[in-house]
Amino acid sequence: MLELEHITAGYVRGEPVVRELSLTVADGEAVGLLGPSGCGKSTLAKVAALLHRPFAGTVRLAGEPVRGFRYRAPRAQRTRIGVVFQQPRLAADPRLALRDLIAEPARATGRGQELAERAAALATEVGLGPELLGRRPHEVSDGQLQRACLARALLLRPSLLICDEMTAMLDASTTAALVAVVEDYRRENGAALLAVGHDRVLLRRWCDRVLDFPAVPATA
Amino acid sequence: MTASAAEQPWHAPGTTRRGTRTARVVVSAVLVSAAALAVLLVPPLFPLDQQAVDLTAKLSAPGADHLFGTDEVGRDVLLRSVYGLRVSLLVGLVAALVASGIGLAVGCAAGALGGRTDRVVMRLVDTFTAVPHLLMGIFIVAMFRPGVWPVVASVGLTHWVSTARIVRAEVLSLRARPFVDAAISGGASRLRVAARHLVPAVLPQAGLAAVLMVPHAIWHESALSFLGLGIPAHEASLGTMINGARGSLVTGEWWPTLFPGLFIVIPTLAIAGLAGAWRERINPRRRSELVL
Amino acid sequence: MNDASAARPPLLAVHELSVRFLMPGGRHVAAVNGVSFELAAGECLALVGESGCGKSVLASALLGLLPGNARTRGTALLGPDDRIDLLGAEETTLARTVRGRRAGLIPQSPAAHLTPVRTVRSQLEETVRELRDTRRGALRAAAEAAAARAAFPADHLDRYPHQLSGGLAQRAATALALVADAPLLIADEPTTGLDRDLVDRTVDELRRHTDEGHGLLVITHDLAAAARMADRVAVMYAGRIVEVATAADFFGAAGPRHPYARGLLDALPERAFAPIPGLPPELDALPEGCAFAARCDRATDICTTLPALTGGVACHHASEAVDA
Repeated sequence: MLELEHITAGYVRGEPVVRELSLTVADGEAVGLLGPSGCGKSTLAKVAALLHRPFAGTVRLAGEPVRGFRYRAPRAQRTRIGVVFQQPRLAADPRLALRDLIAEPARATGRGQELAERAAALATEVGLGPELLGRRPHEVSDGQLQRACLARALLLRPSLLICDEMTAMLDASTTAALVAVVEDYRRENGAALLAVGHDRVLLRRWCDRVLDFPAVPATA
Repeated sequence: MTASAAEQPWHAPGTTRRGTRTARVVVSAVLVSAAALAVLLVPPLFPLDQQAVDLTAKLSAPGADHLFGTDEVGRDVLLRSVYGLRVSLLVGLVAALVASGIGLAVGCAAGALGGRTDRVVMRLVDTFTAVPHLLMGIFIVAMFRPGVWPVVASVGLTHWVSTARIVRAEVLSLRARPFVDAAISGGASRLRVAARHLVPAVLPQAGLAAVLMVPHAIWHESALSFLGLGIPAHEASLGTMINGARGSLVTGEWWPTLFPGLFIVIPTLAIAGLAGAWRERINPRRRSELVL
Repeated sequence: MNDASAARPPLLAVHELSVRFLMPGGRHVAAVNGVSFELAAGECLALVGESGCGKSVLASALLGLLPGNARTRGTALLGPDDRIDLLGAEETTLARTVRGRRAGLIPQSPAAHLTPVRTVRSQLEETVRELRDTRRGALRAAAEAAAARAAFPADHLDRYPHQLSGGLAQRAATALALVADAPLLIADEPTTGLDRDLVDRTVDELRRHTDEGHGLLVITHDLAAAARMADRVAVMYAGRIVEVATAADFFGAAGPRHPYARGLLDALPERAFAPIPGLPPELDALPEGCAFAARCDRATDICTTLPALTGGVACHHASEAVDA
């Protein structure tokens, strides 16, 4: 599904936070990527999500090489991947009601009508009742907002889901609930998962395979 | 068990500064509405013949006949001040709108596109900033016959740079947020991200900049008119009135300059007061008052 | 510990504390409802619960940091000597004599809590100058002593916050909270977003400050962290404390007694990893009775009345046998 080969990435040239890293996620496989804070695993997740252009290395998605990142990645490639971020507050446009937040990818790809029912069904699936859908991000808790962000990531039926520290801000029950939603989705759609995190117990329980992120000397 | 507590009144934590803040907003709002009502209602009710002079009543001190006195050719200072305020407010509003529109467009383009576009546009902005506003404004009005619209153009074309800077900085900081990443991942195009997520988010800031620009524009107009480059000398404008009356200031007749001056200062302060209240409203820390 | 608190007034005695937020349109959000607890010096109480249960609001209320649309009720006496009501006190009193001096805050995101344009040393020295009457010459030594107490390495004092790792930023913020040796420390989600090693180190350091005699109120959703540092655990749900127990009982063989607390522990990946069904009720539309009844498999008719917190648990069915 996803092949990363010899990826070197970072934000300042000459100071990469990820060096020469290779990683493969097979179709339908769940891979956990484990590492301490600030080791570069989030950067790698952004590269894998086609959201950050690496300095060097190749990314292949479903066998096809990725030629551009961010806006330059073809829409078909971008929308095959769903992404959930660590901090729902930052990952949600503060002006959009949860209902619009969830439906945003459908509207952006011109499929708002067609996917309206799926958006509503997903909202129910992640546990958001109709009374919450009209609220804006500052009116709901972190847990509720992260539920909406997960629904948004699943809307276009991605075949790869990337969860970057999805549960780091959440309590035990919400964590278990969101993982259950992800697993239900993967069972029904045969989707692959790349879960990035620092909780070994959680990733072991969740993923087929857990890799330790190679330690990169932290910048002072 | 909660019986005793249930009877207790609710206690509000420290709220001392709120009172003065509300008073400031109320006073500003009253002054701005009074100015707006005056310029809307007075001209239809009391037509002003811009050319009429009454030399028998020239430079009469403020009194029952003329509340604000008369000027050096016997025209009523109060009535002319209201007419002048009308010109100033019109120029101020339209020019601020034009300037903010240009600034918003340029700032969004630079911020959202980034890269080379950003560098080129911002160098252009720097160049614009390097030339004094008034000098460039004079240059622009000098190309046209005196009147309201050249003044509007002069203000609008010189004052957009500050808005452009504010908007660009805001867009740049928004662009790095994960919600933009999420939108891209959801298939959104560059245009859609800009139109749906970036521009609406900077509108309150740009609106604030626009309101704060109204006083700037009023002062700019008055300055141009005072120099004889803005509104034609015989037409009532706060700038032309002060210019025309500055001779009589030396001989002790203070009213033909003081009252138009107050008409410039008071509305601009009131507008700035309202803008300050707005700034506090859109401050994100206050917007999310309820932190769960 | 309990013997000591019986002899003298406790360090912090919160009685029937409620906080509500007035919202536009006459609505109000009942974030904290009739919460009572006590905290002794040298004790660590962990307040656990899911996001949005009101635990952070409680911390803000104790420090007088609530926004303007909040209204409070009840008392929170900070002692043990010269007791002051944290809720009734004037803002100026809180600023001059309480915050930093008698109650220190260890913030949720230390990096954001520090001033980005100044070095750790200059921030520490400023705090020392503000909180203690220290001569200019002695500032440097006092700042270094404060850093040492928080285990912040002296050779990093001249760095700026962005040059610090997450763990060091946490220690810098802790050092600031410890400057005036405030007897009460309140830590708001001190481990959120840290990796496990860092969580363990942070927790051990907080535990060390407790053992040195500080009373520590930790607000967290991280049950593992709570298990590692707390003497007692208070579980908060929908603005109420539903269970108070010693950490040994709560995480040990006895286990929690409230169905919600049991569900919370069962949701851990090292246990059943099963979520509690449903979502907590909205704080602006709390039910009349037990707030957890809608999600509880043991709910009966009696649960439509509000259970009181008796014997450390607020559940009508607490005394019934638990079928694991």
